[in-house]
Amino acid sequence: MSATDAAAASGDWVELARAAARGRAAPEEPERLRELLSFQLNDSSYAVPVERVREIVRIRTITPVPRVPKAVLGVIALRGEIVQVVDLRMRLGLAQPEPTRSSRIIVLHGEDGRVAGVLVDAVREVLRVTEEFIRPAPPGETISVAELCLHGDEFVSIIDLDRVLKLVDDR
Amino acid sequence: MAARRSRSVKSKAHREFVSEAEELLDRMSGDLSDLHDQRAVGEIDPDLVNRIFRSAHSLKGLAGMFGLDGIGELAHHLEDVLDGLRLGRVAADAPAVGLLDEAVALFGKLLQRLGDEGKAEEDSLAVADLVTRIAEAIEETAAVQDELVDLDVDPALMRALTEYEEHRLRENLRRGRHISLINTMFEIITFEEGLAELSAAVREVGEVVSTLPSPGETPESQIRFSLLVATEVDAEQLAARLEFADTSIRAVREASNRAASIEMASAPAPELATGLGESADIESLKSISDTVRVDIRKLDELMNLVGELVIQRGSLSRIADRLCRDPETSRVGGELAKVHKVIERKLKDLQNSVLDVRMVPLRHVFEKISRVVRRLRRDLGKDVSLEYKGADTELDKLIVEELIDPLMHVVRNAFDHAIESEEERVMAGKPAQGRILIEASQRGNHVVIEVADDGRGIDPAEVRRRAEAAGLVAPDAVLTPKETLDLVFLPGLSTRDEVTETSGRGVGMDVVRANLTALDGIVDIDSVLGKGTTVVMTLPLTLAIIQALIVTVGDQRYAIPLNSVLETLLLQPEEVQRSEGREMMNLRGEPLPLRRLADEFNLRSTSEDEKRHVVVLGLGELRLGLLVDSLEGQQDTIMKSIQGPIQQVRGIAGATEIGDQGAVLVIDVSSIVEDAMRRRDAA
Repeated sequence: MSATDAAAASGDWVELARAAARGRAAPEEPERLRELLSFQLNDSSYAVPVERVREIVRIRTITPVPRVPKAVLGVIALRGEIVQVVDLRMRLGLAQPEPTRSSRIIVLHGEDGRVAGVLVDAVREVLRVTEEFIRPAPPGETISVAELCLHGDEFVSIIDLDRVLKLVDDR
Repeated sequence: MAARRSRSVKSKAHREFVSEAEELLDRMSGDLSDLHDQRAVGEIDPDLVNRIFRSAHSLKGLAGMFGLDGIGELAHHLEDVLDGLRLGRVAADAPAVGLLDEAVALFGKLLQRLGDEGKAEEDSLAVADLVTRIAEAIEETAAVQDELVDLDVDPALMRALTEYEEHRLRENLRRGRHISLINTMFEIITFEEGLAELSAAVREVGEVVSTLPSPGETPESQIRFSLLVATEVDAEQLAARLEFADTSIRAVREASNRAASIEMASAPAPELATGLGESADIESLKSISDTVRVDIRKLDELMNLVGELVIQRGSLSRIADRLCRDPETSRVGGELAKVHKVIERKLKDLQNSVLDVRMVPLRHVFEKISRVVRRLRRDLGKDVSLEYKGADTELDKLIVEELIDPLMHVVRNAFDHAIESEEERVMAGKPAQGRILIEASQRGNHVVIEVADDGRGIDPAEVRRRAEAAGLVAPDAVLTPKETLDLVFLPGLSTRDEVTETSGRGVGMDVVRANLTALDGIVDIDSVLGKGTTVVMTLPLTLAIIQALIVTVGDQRYAIPLNSVLETLLLQPEEVQRSEGREMMNLRGEPLPLRRLADEFNLRSTSEDEKRHVVVLGLGELRLGLLVDSLEGQQDTIMKSIQGPIQQVRGIAGATEIGDQGAVLVIDVSSIVEDAMRRRDAA
């Protein structure tokens, strides 16, 4: 049981706050790495946490679905499962070129245990970074990017998946 | 953070253990309370004891798998008690039986700790203490005085009895039944039938405790049996009832009178004892080891594979057809067609077997709901009884899982809103205790679950008022009473203002309907003001394989479940008639409203106003002609729910995979037809 839990059990809020502060000051495992899958959308780099990625598949026949928001491109059949594919560009307000040979569908675990696919231009690499390379996104500019990851000189936008996927259903 | 994650990963197995063990405990405590009820009456159902035994046994196995020795040991001692109870070694009123409750409570505590803290440590002191007390309690009761020695039966025969049979014998003695010994002979060829007939005749007035073959002197082609029976009637009356040749009956003990005995004709041989008389209870205990727990996802995989095979089979049939048509290849085509027929039949068998594996009885769901109601009754102090019938009705495991929420919601609605307060009920001349009845039954390919209450009923005027206030219905719209009642299924219409915790926080009948639609089911409501409400849910037996008609519009293909398709027609453009701008056609003298699938789904149709195909859809009494570009034929498909951020699309029931052409959407006939009719009403 961690210090925070112990404090919580005692119900003393001052203690709880102190424990939380201590926890932040001295992480239990300082060199823990964040793993991010980076991919490309219109020449910019974006990333999602690796643990949310179930698989990456080549682009395949996407069956359009009527009566859904434009950002939902349709559904694909994936070994017996039927999965919606969301166009991340449209969600992020970017221009939309046609899919190319390098286009991929990243199948993500949603919040509710169901999966969803997102279409990206190309998958790049898995970044392993420590917290010190993470920056908060500049305020006011975006609703879908909460953090940036400094990769060399380049900032990779870390996408807040739950928000992106939830916002799709804004009919 | 990191430490927390690793702990949570480590405890994942434990979480699984906890959830599964909780399920077992739930069942056990439910069964235990039944056991106490039966104990009070003095008649214990052996099946019930067996069920508790199985629960304890499963718990033991589970604990063993996760290395939780304490829980395992406790479960093992429970088994001892239950086994003793089952075999009559432990009397039903023995202190050991009382300890069962304590054990279940302790399990609960241990599990909770395990679940809360993710720790495998157990309260070993408490476990050890209880284990000791159980062991002592069993020992005390083991020295039960044996009344069987008083019976006037050959000791050799007595020795041949199984422990269970002895127990049944004791039980019957306790109930004061007549015990008799039947000696009989049958032709070897037909002895099974004869024995079955004889046993059936005995069962009309009692029970066959044991059936033993006995050597004795028999003609070559005959076989002799001894049946130890316990009956309500005495040996003489029994003899009068049984008109079998070569059969003699002798009283072993008169009811409540231990004297009467007559000479024994032949001595049965214990070494010949077979399992003939073994009861079903023992069988069911044996089956523990024959059962395999399977992850439902593995079954899904299996289903998918079978589905793919079924789809491939379709192309085999097409190839055979093509070969048959060409005179040069018609011979080999015919052979292929034959092989195809066999494969088709075997595939059907395979399909059915896999489907069968997925079927589970509704009992578990009903028990869960009845526990919730019991708790509500306690917490809210509202006197409502819940009964259920048809708990053995089986449904696909996945449907059962998805059914719990909507069913629970309907029951809670009944409990919360429908059943009036005690005073109100008495004023209305109803029994003070409210009543909810859940009844399940299978009708053809569907299972119907009805939830009926004897509460205040739904006031159509009130529903109407609310629907109008919410803008769901025009003030001047004319609705039948049934249509008015159906308004409760619209989103945003709750029949009571306040939202209480038990009602599920504003989740209304619209969600129930959506849940059922997702399962390809329908929900219907019937209510009489002041008398009560009945909600009827109709579900398919299994989600599995549907036969679908594949149609195309533009470059898209859609699947329409064949069970909603009444017929298909070819329509010439000049046959389309219009009334108030709505399209329809003359279908054998009846007007058939027409809708274009292209319009419904905003698609570009390739064949503008040329001849079209009409798929005639039927939903109850309603008929709708759906215009499509072409028909591609029938196909067996497996309908899947669509995963992703959009939870539901009106008009789409799901999707299916056909060959290598990707996903094909399955049309939700009921919503298409309903929408078409509603727009007609609105127009």
